[in-house]
Amino acid sequence: MTPPGPASPTTRIDELWKRIGPVLESDLPLPSRVAEAAVLATGARNATLYLRERDAWVRTGEKIAGPLEPGELPEPLPAGVFQRNGELWLPLSAEGSLHGMLRLHGVPEDPPADESTLLAFLFGSLVGAHGLARQVREAEFELKARLLELESLYDLGLSLGGQLDLSALADEVLFRSISLTDAGKGALVLYDDADRVLLERSVGGEILVPQDCRQWTLPEGGLINNDSPSDGMRDGSCRKYLAVAISVPGRRLGVLAVADKESRDGRVLDFTATDARLLSLFANQAAAAIETARLHREAIEKERIERELELAATIQKQILPRDLPAVAGLEIAAKNVPTRQVGGDYFDFFPLSRGRLAFLVSDVSGKGVPAALLVSTVHAAVHLQIDEAKTVADLIGRVDRHLQRYAATRKFLTCFFGLLEPDTGTLRYVSAGHNPALLRRAAGEVVQLKATGVPLGMFPNASWKEETITLCRGDLLCVYSDGVTEAQNAAEEEFGLDRLSNALSSHAALAPDALCREIFDEVEAFVADAPQYDDETLLLTRLVG
Amino acid sequence: MSESCKVSSERRGDVAILWTDGYINNQGGEEIAREAYAQLDSGVRALVLNLEKTRIVNSIGISILIEVLEKVMDKKGVLAFCGLTPTIDKTFRIMGLAQYAEIYPTQEDAVRSVTAHPA
Repeated sequence: MTPPGPASPTTRIDELWKRIGPVLESDLPLPSRVAEAAVLATGARNATLYLRERDAWVRTGEKIAGPLEPGELPEPLPAGVFQRNGELWLPLSAEGSLHGMLRLHGVPEDPPADESTLLAFLFGSLVGAHGLARQVREAEFELKARLLELESLYDLGLSLGGQLDLSALADEVLFRSISLTDAGKGALVLYDDADRVLLERSVGGEILVPQDCRQWTLPEGGLINNDSPSDGMRDGSCRKYLAVAISVPGRRLGVLAVADKESRDGRVLDFTATDARLLSLFANQAAAAIETARLHREAIEKERIERELELAATIQKQILPRDLPAVAGLEIAAKNVPTRQVGGDYFDFFPLSRGRLAFLVSDVSGKGVPAALLVSTVHAAVHLQIDEAKTVADLIGRVDRHLQRYAATRKFLTCFFGLLEPDTGTLRYVSAGHNPALLRRAAGEVVQLKATGVPLGMFPNASWKEETITLCRGDLLCVYSDGVTEAQNAAEEEFGLDRLSNALSSHAALAPDALCREIFDEVEAFVADAPQYDDETLLLTRLVG
Repeated sequence: MSESCKVSSERRGDVAILWTDGYINNQGGEEIAREAYAQLDSGVRALVLNLEKTRIVNSIGISILIEVLEKVMDKKGVLAFCGLTPTIDKTFRIMGLAQYAEIYPTQEDAVRSVTAHPA
């Protein structure tokens, strides 16, 4: 009988495949399949597979996967089968590239050289295919990441286009910036027109010093600092950062910064020019959106002011008398020209018993609705108190106390209040800080009736002196608001008391209503196209009885 | 927003719900993976990731979520997401996560779906 000889190569390959085929065809992850197949093929106690992933070697295995210890792989890496300290190393190559190393520990006997070569070729092909698949997956991932960047830019444009809430806008920009640059941290600061911090957002901890980074010189395309943080960054807050300015022509609106770019293995990576370009694009979109939001806010504010002015004008219009009273012995004219800002001038007449006439001209400090409300309060106070008051000074005192108690705003007003008896020509008056009224005597002299006390609403417990003067037939009293005498032309020259006084004299022959028109014509001619900011009120009364 | 992502979980039968709170980056992704693997190792078949308190995800976080998804698929399990912001929803769809994991608007929808999903 002939003893059995060594098995033929074909038979050995068949036997080998029977041992390792089921493992290689199993559902296990490829590194586990290769390691288990290697153990089955060689009889080794265990096998460890090392794979080259990107530019680093990693250890694979269910519980042992991870980065390598120093000296774990032989150096230099062997080109062929290699033995070290009782371990057998198989380099796994495919198409001329080394993809892996297989470490076999406790191999009972050296496998035949041709079998080692076969195993190395087989496992090398598998590992190479595995590496290729991984590279394809990574390339696909990168491609998707670039697509995500483009989509994000597009979405951000759409999203910010209609975003008027600055806070939401800042979050949107910051979150996308951090996400797409793989930054660990990020911050966004916006400044107002006075360069004060308007809004501050941060993720992953505060990295910016808002007041300092406002002064940063940030080049077009952003500042990449992969070396060391500088002024404007909080000490120790990050290792590497990328910052861009959020600007519109001529003004910096804010700063956007990301810091500490992450990697899968925990390292802090350098920011790249691609990151800087992406962040710049985000900053540009943010700047456009912030400017749009600012213009929108301004439009809303303008609309609010317009509405307020309309309301104030309505209040004022309803308070001013619609008709002038007819009083025997007196010719009366009055006119109010409100400015766009509605200044709060007020005039009124109060026909009293025995043919007397009370009248007032007042000018409230401030403009708009607050001034209009104060005028309304004065109107109510005078109408409430006029029948109770014993004298003009008493009435003014009562009105002042009413204002001190009920006025919604702490504003004051000047007021000229007169009580005229046509029968006797007696004029009793109080001027609470008002411009001097002008009394043009029929003989031509112009007398100034100056203030007899402080404006109303200014000091608690104030008192006013009541003056008396007698008018003669033909005398004309002119009470006005400072909008008339302080009307300015383009050279900022005021119409002034002298021009008003001269107008009274020049047109003394005119009836009060015609004179009133003439004076307003002269004021209008004087100011020409210069804008006016104060109401103009004129009240004229002439004793004719 | 907090410094780091916090992950909490609750097991309901063979379904585990994981809630994230914060930025899903490298650290956040690792937290999720650790919790997910622990649940899978304890016999959980389906994972529901509720991201309603997460507003940022970066590519490192996404690659870790893909690893978690691969692990779930290796174990013939299912993974579902819910509570995504529109931005994260779109990110997951572009990056391919939605190809193998379902996305639901609410946690109830997600749990109901994975509970009915055949093993």
